[in-house]
Amino acid sequence: MKKKLLTLMLAAAMTAGMLAGCGGGVATMPSTETVDAAIESAQAKADDSGFTYTGEAPITKSGGTLKILAQTSNYSNVDITKAPIVLKVFEEAGVDPDWQLLDFNSYEEAITPMLSAGNVDADIIKLPDNDPNQIWLKSGMFVPLDEYFDYMPNFTKWLSENPVQKAELTAEDGHIYYVAGVNLAYDYQPCLMYNQVWLDKAGMKAPETLDELVKLLTYFKENDMNGDGKTDDEIPMSVAAEFLPYMFGPAFGLDLVSGYQADQDGNMIFAAADPENYRAYLDFLRDLYAQGLLEMEYTSIDRDKIIERMSNDLTGVAFDYSWAMSMMYSNVLPYYDGTEKTAFVGVKPLSGTHEGFYVGRNSLSGMFGVNSDSSQIELAVKFLDYAMSEHCQDYYCWGFEGETYTVNADGSRSYTEQALDNDWLQQFGINPAFVLPAQQSVEATDILVADWHAKINAELRQYVVDPWPMIYATTDESDTVNLYNEDIQTNVNENATAFIMGTKDLNTEFDGYINGLDALNLGELVQIHQNQYDRYLKALKGE
Amino acid sequence: MGKKKKKTDAGGNGKSFRQLMFRDRYLLYMLIPVVIYYLVFCYLPMTGLIMAFNQYQVGSGFLGIYTSRFVGLKWFRQFFGSIYLPRLVRNTFLLQFYSLIFGFPIPILFAIAVTQIGSLRLQKSVQVCTYLPYFISTVVVCGMINNFLSPTGGIINQLLNKAGIDSINFMNLPQWFRPVYVISGSWQTFGFNSIIFVAAIMGISPDLYEAMRVDGANRRQIIWHLVLPSIRPTIILLLIMSLGTMMSVGFEKVYLLYNTAVYETADVIQTYVYRQGIQSNNYSYATAVGLFNSVINFAIVFTANRISRRVSDTAIW
Repeated sequence: MKKKLLTLMLAAAMTAGMLAGCGGGVATMPSTETVDAAIESAQAKADDSGFTYTGEAPITKSGGTLKILAQTSNYSNVDITKAPIVLKVFEEAGVDPDWQLLDFNSYEEAITPMLSAGNVDADIIKLPDNDPNQIWLKSGMFVPLDEYFDYMPNFTKWLSENPVQKAELTAEDGHIYYVAGVNLAYDYQPCLMYNQVWLDKAGMKAPETLDELVKLLTYFKENDMNGDGKTDDEIPMSVAAEFLPYMFGPAFGLDLVSGYQADQDGNMIFAAADPENYRAYLDFLRDLYAQGLLEMEYTSIDRDKIIERMSNDLTGVAFDYSWAMSMMYSNVLPYYDGTEKTAFVGVKPLSGTHEGFYVGRNSLSGMFGVNSDSSQIELAVKFLDYAMSEHCQDYYCWGFEGETYTVNADGSRSYTEQALDNDWLQQFGINPAFVLPAQQSVEATDILVADWHAKINAELRQYVVDPWPMIYATTDESDTVNLYNEDIQTNVNENATAFIMGTKDLNTEFDGYINGLDALNLGELVQIHQNQYDRYLKALKGE
Repeated sequence: MGKKKKKTDAGGNGKSFRQLMFRDRYLLYMLIPVVIYYLVFCYLPMTGLIMAFNQYQVGSGFLGIYTSRFVGLKWFRQFFGSIYLPRLVRNTFLLQFYSLIFGFPIPILFAIAVTQIGSLRLQKSVQVCTYLPYFISTVVVCGMINNFLSPTGGIINQLLNKAGIDSINFMNLPQWFRPVYVISGSWQTFGFNSIIFVAAIMGISPDLYEAMRVDGANRRQIIWHLVLPSIRPTIILLLIMSLGTMMSVGFEKVYLLYNTAVYETADVIQTYVYRQGIQSNNYSYATAVGLFNSVINFAIVFTANRISRRVSDTAIW
């Protein structure tokens, strides 16, 4: 029954995703009337110097400097402020950047107090998140962009062509506050990966079910997979705690990544409070832990540790973002020769009591807003518009012709020999989503990764389902969510760890855990998500 | 007239208050930065406590602290109704209590021991070696703790394995968090904390040592009847000051060492305030929790001071 229910639910979710992907004129919750009217009435307007920006460079004739608060590259050896692509965008726009960049890894923690204090000295600000609870836009710190659509021909065009994203970006008050970057939503998502050499040595195929996985992990644990003469140094699986819900939740019909999910009747449940499936999920992980297949230190393992193990050929299974497959994990293996046969390869999701799936990402990510305290709002708005134009997106995906790519006889593009060196390409500023509203491209990513990796990605795309949709909370909803969410997440996280490690008894204490969530007002949050989901479905139906 | 005379008398040497101010003006100038420091970093921020009674709107800036909507005791009611309240208070108190019980006597004993070393060079060397850990950054210390105690490859577990004992998952078992925290804390700070006791011991007049030796006292008797009584006011002063921070666990170290597996014994008020305030933007709620913590701290130090005054005639005020 549960399986049927989840299948229906997933089917509904995927249908919704397809509808959204087709851009079928779907409008979500808040009315986009204000935005639509602003798009309709937008007309190119001359600035104080008499210059009219029409969507192409330059954006001004008078020059100027824009203060930009954003994040550093996730590559520590890349200075994004010196990247040729980034410099080109500013050069063409005719303005100079005055950077204030915060560390990529602690961006959210560093910028949140700054924004909260409300005294950020920057014209353009990259948000720490998608602002789902409208915390930042309600603060009055950001300019409603629809009031400046006269200066945003590229953005208004993009909004008109992408009604779903337009609706998602429209806040409760009917305004749009952010220019968003666009993620790959279905491609290169987190996935399960196996050491192909170990698999071949074990004479096994990549497991498709949980039982097959346990069998494989046990084999890895008991045998000398790396051929060093020892059978006790193999760590069968190296997965950071944050990825366990991605890896195993779907096999039990749970979307623990999004947290909330709807059944086939549209009734909302909190995945980590599902009395049957979540309990089965914890039970499975507890057994893995007890057998030593999930390592003792799983709560503190990080990428650095995993990479170290891989470079010493100590581990056979991983779960991470797809890009890590050929760009981080395989290439540290001592025997990797650039082929799939010697790599960590991605496979379809595991199935258990339910058919497996991977959870995709929301396509909107990397929000940029214009500070309402800025003394040059129009210039900042124009720059954001230019920076998100198709012309600049081409730079972000491909770089410059002759330097990073060449055009083939059939019109397709190929990266140059030098650009295939990822470090070099990153230093060139490819996909500068840390500082500019970049839109990712499957085509450019396919060429960037190894051929076998691109092929695997194409195969895995079919297993990716939509995450929880981006729905702005109303003021009341966000107040309640902010108040209760932290305690609930704390409770869920620590109980999951306790049940898995056996410090809490799943048989006798699980009901107490569920009751504890009720005491933390989970019911109110479920109701809020139910309301949001109902609004979403209503909008999908065009009501 | 009488009043004026009294004021002059209080000034000493028949000088007026103004004359005394003028006489000590250079000392007073030196005091100015300290006063400014306390005003700016201690007293001015205290006015922000009003956030605990407001619904602070993020992004409303500095003035928003004072102009946000008044909500009375809403956040206190929220915290007192939280299932985490008992655990947070217990963990915060016990971490500091154990640190005090085990950590406080060690510097005293060490100071006594080190001052008994005859060779001055050896004495200085021992002191320097024990001070050094204090200057290692907390992040580095926590990294060392994690590495040493790792169940896979950590030196402590390797030693245990060699002794035939199974590896212990120190950093993921709630019952080990407090010992790890307290022992590592004592190791890091005992040398530095002993400085003030060493100074107090050095301040004891050599004549008194001489007199006791003449009276035939041995080393144990000298320590018991001369050294310890002489440094008693210092011990009590530092003890009361330590009690003042009884509910103020060092946030960084707990934050760097804890994980979801050990929340049961590791989650303290400061980490909870951090998660609620910085990570979840509930600044008003976090301020209320912080204020509650400070009130308890104040009550403890106030009580300790009164008890100390009654028992030993030594008190801070």
